[in-house]
Amino acid sequence: MAPPAQSQRSPSPSQPSGKSEVSDLKLQLRQLAGSRAPGVDDSKRELFKKVISYMTVGIDVSSLFGEMVMCSATSDIVLKKMCYLYVGNYAKVNPDLALLTINFLQRDCNDEDPMIRGLALRSLCSLRVANFVEYLVGPLGSGLKDSNSYVRMVAVIGVLKLYHISASTCVDADFPSILKHLMLNDSDTQVVANCLSALQEIWSAEASTSEEASREREALISKPVIYYLLNREFSEWAQCLVLELVTKYVPSDSSEIFDIMNLLEDRLQHANGAVVLATIKVFLHLTLSMTDVHQQVYERIKAPLLTLVSSGSPEQSYAVLSHLHLLVMRAPYIFSSDYKHFYCQYNEPSYVKRLKLEMLTAVANESNTYEIVTELCEYAANVDIPIARESIRAVGKIALQQYDVNAIVDRLLQFLEMEKDYVTAEALVLVKDLLRKYPQWSHDCIAVVGNISSKNVQEPKAKAALIWMLGEYSQDMQDAPYILESLVENWDEEHSAEVRLHLLTAVMKCFFKRPPETQNALGTALAAGIADFHQDVHDRALFYYRILQYNVSVAERVVNPPKQAVSVFADTQSSEIKDRIFDEFNSLSVVYQKPSYMFTDKEHRGPFEFSDELGNLSIGGEAADNVVSAQRVEENDKDLLLTTSEKEETRGSSNNGSAYTAPYDGSSTSVFALQTHIESAISNPTAADHSPQASLAIDDLLGLGLPAAPAPPSPQLKLNTTAALDPSTFQHKWRQLPVALSQEYSVSPQGVAALTAPQALLRHMQSHSIHCIASGGQSPNFKFFFFAQKAEEASNYLVECIISTSSAKAQIKIKADDQSTSQAFSTLFQSALSKFGIP
Amino acid sequence: MLQCIFLLSDSGEVMLEKQLTGHRVDRSICDWFWDQSISQGDSFKPVIASPTHYLFQVVQEGITFLACTQVEMPPLMGIEFLCRVADVLSEYLGGLNEDVIKDNFVIVYELLDEMIDNGFPLTTEPNILREMIAPPNIVSKVLSVVTGNSSNVSDTLPGATGSCVPWRAADPKYANNEVYVDLVEEMDAVINRDGVLVKCEIYGEVQVNSHLSGLPDLTLSFANPSILDDVRFHPCVRFRPWESHQLLSFVPPDGEFKLMSYRVKKLKSTPIYVKPQLTSDAGKCRVNVLVGIKNDPGKTIDSITLQFQLPPCILSADLTSNHGTVNILSNKICSWSIGRIPKDKAPSLTGTLVLETELERLHVFPTFRVGFRIMGVALSGLQIDKLDLKTVPNRLYKGFRALTRAGEFEVRS
Repeated sequence: MAPPAQSQRSPSPSQPSGKSEVSDLKLQLRQLAGSRAPGVDDSKRELFKKVISYMTVGIDVSSLFGEMVMCSATSDIVLKKMCYLYVGNYAKVNPDLALLTINFLQRDCNDEDPMIRGLALRSLCSLRVANFVEYLVGPLGSGLKDSNSYVRMVAVIGVLKLYHISASTCVDADFPSILKHLMLNDSDTQVVANCLSALQEIWSAEASTSEEASREREALISKPVIYYLLNREFSEWAQCLVLELVTKYVPSDSSEIFDIMNLLEDRLQHANGAVVLATIKVFLHLTLSMTDVHQQVYERIKAPLLTLVSSGSPEQSYAVLSHLHLLVMRAPYIFSSDYKHFYCQYNEPSYVKRLKLEMLTAVANESNTYEIVTELCEYAANVDIPIARESIRAVGKIALQQYDVNAIVDRLLQFLEMEKDYVTAEALVLVKDLLRKYPQWSHDCIAVVGNISSKNVQEPKAKAALIWMLGEYSQDMQDAPYILESLVENWDEEHSAEVRLHLLTAVMKCFFKRPPETQNALGTALAAGIADFHQDVHDRALFYYRILQYNVSVAERVVNPPKQAVSVFADTQSSEIKDRIFDEFNSLSVVYQKPSYMFTDKEHRGPFEFSDELGNLSIGGEAADNVVSAQRVEENDKDLLLTTSEKEETRGSSNNGSAYTAPYDGSSTSVFALQTHIESAISNPTAADHSPQASLAIDDLLGLGLPAAPAPPSPQLKLNTTAALDPSTFQHKWRQLPVALSQEYSVSPQGVAALTAPQALLRHMQSHSIHCIASGGQSPNFKFFFFAQKAEEASNYLVECIISTSSAKAQIKIKADDQSTSQAFSTLFQSALSKFGIP
Repeated sequence: MLQCIFLLSDSGEVMLEKQLTGHRVDRSICDWFWDQSISQGDSFKPVIASPTHYLFQVVQEGITFLACTQVEMPPLMGIEFLCRVADVLSEYLGGLNEDVIKDNFVIVYELLDEMIDNGFPLTTEPNILREMIAPPNIVSKVLSVVTGNSSNVSDTLPGATGSCVPWRAADPKYANNEVYVDLVEEMDAVINRDGVLVKCEIYGEVQVNSHLSGLPDLTLSFANPSILDDVRFHPCVRFRPWESHQLLSFVPPDGEFKLMSYRVKKLKSTPIYVKPQLTSDAGKCRVNVLVGIKNDPGKTIDSITLQFQLPPCILSADLTSNHGTVNILSNKICSWSIGRIPKDKAPSLTGTLVLETELERLHVFPTFRVGFRIMGVALSGLQIDKLDLKTVPNRLYKGFRALTRAGEFEVRS
């Protein structure tokens, strides 16, 4: 691809630097301004073209404003258009000069040619200079009454533009009610559509202050208006607008629903994909409460969607495919016979292939699994390595969904025997997951895995998986202790903390199964782990060390508990979030696979969105989800880190490119979950002092004299580390409770330095059991909503915290269920905050 | 609600900027966009979020059409609209490239002005736009010299904006009334290494070119409409006659337009076969590809081509054919153009690939992409029965044609 062009702000040397050329143009324009010679329009046109082209490439030609206006007295419509364009571009920065143009624009608004009237009116409204509004009202008023629909159409949008410049002028001139009248009576449907679009925007903006406007807004989705709009023939784009409105309409009974659907059915065959999707949204929303019909709707919309995917440009296909993806994920069984549509084509972009792979995975069932897996295996030999990897993962996911997995396991094991590093790596991870779900396959798998030389496995994930299997099945694998030992010996060369963590655990597991062979390796591993610079590795090594000292049988129970097969792997997205996205069908949410509150700003949401204070921030819906799923995993399986760190990756990738990331990510959860884990294991009173009854002399084994760790100063108030609160409850409580405490703390300089993004603080506070539900802002001002729960009872503390890094101050408002302890909580909060940024 | 549209050249230069609402979008977003586009390459999605705006992009003939918004909106609406803009511009300017846009940017501005106002799409119907803004073709240039009327804007406003057939401009008059109907089909197929047809499907379009006076009412019927799996119509098609009798009843726009598109699934055969054989041995891979006619469609198959990407682990390739020409392009794509299949022999491509030194055998297998064209046949089997006009003008010519070409036709090895 060509190198990026030079920044537009500095004109490249080949282009005129501007100055001399612009003054040259100025001179020529001035000469032409008064001339009435024949052919003068042609020369003007050449000059105007030059001016516009300079403007287009980014040269400032605003100094020509006066001359341009002088030359604009012409009957030539192209000249006029160029002049309007120029004026529209520079009026905002030159309000004084722009005043010069008002005159001729107003005159043009009364031209006999409707085209000129329309164009002049459009330009007049596009000047967007606040102190000109008085000049707009007159022309707009007559424009709305113009006999030509083109002018009316322009005038309607002009009203909206006026509203954005000066809302009060627009409302005082009573334009909204004129628009309403036009909307319900005009003969031209484009005028009607423009009225609808303008009124939606105006009334939504007014609704917060005016009761009448909010009533009017409600009236738009009343039965008579909806039926009136449905029965008129609109252009394709206006139809999208109307259909969007129809989705908000609630029909009174099912016969009405069927009437609307019958009326709209032909839109599913429309050539414009936007109309088709808008129609589908109406159908889906209308039938939400009618399960049978909803199913039929899926059947009905399937074919149009699949056709849309295969026609049109790749960009259109992608947008449709994102929606199809959503529907397939909701109701995979309906699409299970259409799996061939999700086969990847060789030269599709990889993001399309990725969506298709996910859909193939979802629609796999008893009858088509064989063919789908065969197809996926083709991709494993694909030239495109990331897709090859995804395909192998997809095979694994299908294996985890299905009951009859014999054939798939064979396939996976074949992958392991292929010579490609990345195939082996992906397959190892999958075999590990498979074993967690189907321990009965361990015999076959272990035989193959045993043949893999750990030297050929370099990727951290794969290595971790291999190590996990070595630890877990050490009794079945002859040389497991020795492989582990050799890995431990190369501790320093292992760069991935994840692998080191797994190595520690695996050595521990192996130790309990084959103590004499592993004792040596364990000693080395613990020593290396405790000396490790990585906090998690260090902590885990220390924890193992202590727990071994305390009681070996407890240690065994913690490290090697009897395992249950994992029945369901935690989903990366909660069903609640999926429902939210589904509600926002036919919107950007679907493409980003996030509900809009996670990425759009309040002020920019659609005209009918209701949002409150919290909506302005990126609410930690994902956070709540994360916590919940973490707990679920905990119930299912003690081996937490595997799943959470995988989640981290998926989340990380899905967050790419999004400017507004949700506050929590997987890594913080995993750390936090581990801590919980540890605390639950040690938090009995004897844990603090080293138990003398440790049956193995581990001190000797290690040869390290560790200082006894000081017991942490236990605060009076104990907080629940796994507190969970969903955003809506938070909002509810926040509104309900009075402010218990309002304080201002100062933030340490280190804290200020560390607070570059809201996320940093979230992780820190979480380690103090104070959870964030929403955060936002940019340096220097950040705003957070935190919550915490008492350890023993379900008593909540809600905190609003505004931190300004420029003044190093934090303003705190605390609300509490139990007011009496709010002071204690405040102290706790302050101490947690004061530790931020101090390593 | 789009806030701004930019047109970028293939080197990332902003050629044109059209602000649509009061919220100005700074040009610097294009720099950001272009950096992203370069760093992400092939995996750059059409809908992305920048730190400040959501961006839609459509690339056509090397020109990037970029639209910005800050509000939630139907993504397909943004993309469809950009596609329409690209189509209309391409039609107006006779193709798209940097020069033609820079030469005609006034027309581009004029068109955008009529196509979108305050961020909401208005008229994208080419017939109507042509009534408002004359295309910069040679004819109109000549005309303007002759008549002295130098404006490229017609004096009249289109009458159709208010009529009940918004796609048809005011009554045109023709001395010769003509209507042409073309069936254009694309065959998408995936064939696996054992020669089994994994998937085969036809995507087809009914393209109409109509030059009829007045307000003609047409009815088009097919001999076998039941084979169609799904259809999409131009807004001019009335839905009820199709639903009850599979008749296409419509008042056509003037000129060329796409009346209908359709899909036919689960086809059982392809017109040609491609048999690739790759055998690896001791660091070399022998390639042998045979191409021939499988199910004779009854018409000549021409423009047969075969392309495949050489795997990255290949050091050199020596490939020859007994018919047509073989080229290895700089990006390691091997392209074999066969043209027509001769009567006396089956075209074959043979040769060896030399693998990287450590490799014994090839384990990344190329996919062969096949191209062909058959005039006079719609491979789906769809047949036009008849085309009727409600009121037949005195001179009427009706023409029918069919064409099938390969779409995504892949053979795996």
